[in-house]
Amino acid sequence: MPIVVNLDVMMAKRKISSGELAERIGITPANLSILKTGKAKAIRFSTLERLCEELSCQPGDLLEYRDEA
Amino acid sequence: MKWNSLRSLQLSILLVRVLFVLILILMCCVPVMVHWYDLDGGSRVGLVQGSVYWPLCICLYLTAVCGEVCLFRLGKLLQNIRAEHVFIPENCTHLRIISWCCLLASIPFGIFGIWRFLSFVVALAALFFGIILRVVKNVFEAAVSLQEENDYTI
Repeated sequence: MPIVVNLDVMMAKRKISSGELAERIGITPANLSILKTGKAKAIRFSTLERLCEELSCQPGDLLEYRDEA
Repeated sequence: MKWNSLRSLQLSILLVRVLFVLILILMCCVPVMVHWYDLDGGSRVGLVQGSVYWPLCICLYLTAVCGEVCLFRLGKLLQNIRAEHVFIPENCTHLRIISWCCLLASIPFGIFGIWRFLSFVVALAALFFGIILRVVKNVFEAAVSLQEENDYTI
């Protein structure tokens, strides 16, 4: 998929662990792992909103479009 | 005793197992049954006249194999449903194999129609079941895809 989730980069910048972030935004560590590894098919606005809030960033910092062609 | 979906499922599993064993027993009796039929029973209208002993034996054994494969896969499918694994790719495979078995079972009966025209009706029925199951399989595949998308929406 040409949409890349840069969650791990943002987490490293904010120095926050997966478990802590999952707890703060109210999702399971397994779901956060799906998001981090790029296996997710879609992301809810509510999840994105909580991620941006906790990581103090913009949606564009987390999601990136890469042309595969 | 109150009837619910779990009991219904258990009944389906039981019926599948009983039929599986019944077909196994009937497979042992095929030569005797075909001999009776050949001597006396059934419509004798067909392109080729005379004894149908070997054509019917071969036809019944081939379809019995298809039937056993169908029932085995049906049992697996029901077990998955009981374990609440409904929309999974494995179930699509089961349905695809069952559908192909029905389609394949129509071939021996279609060929046996040369000896007995009535056999074409059975072949057509098997073909019809096969096509219906194929459509069900297609619907299941779409459902699996939707389920996957739902599961991977965070």
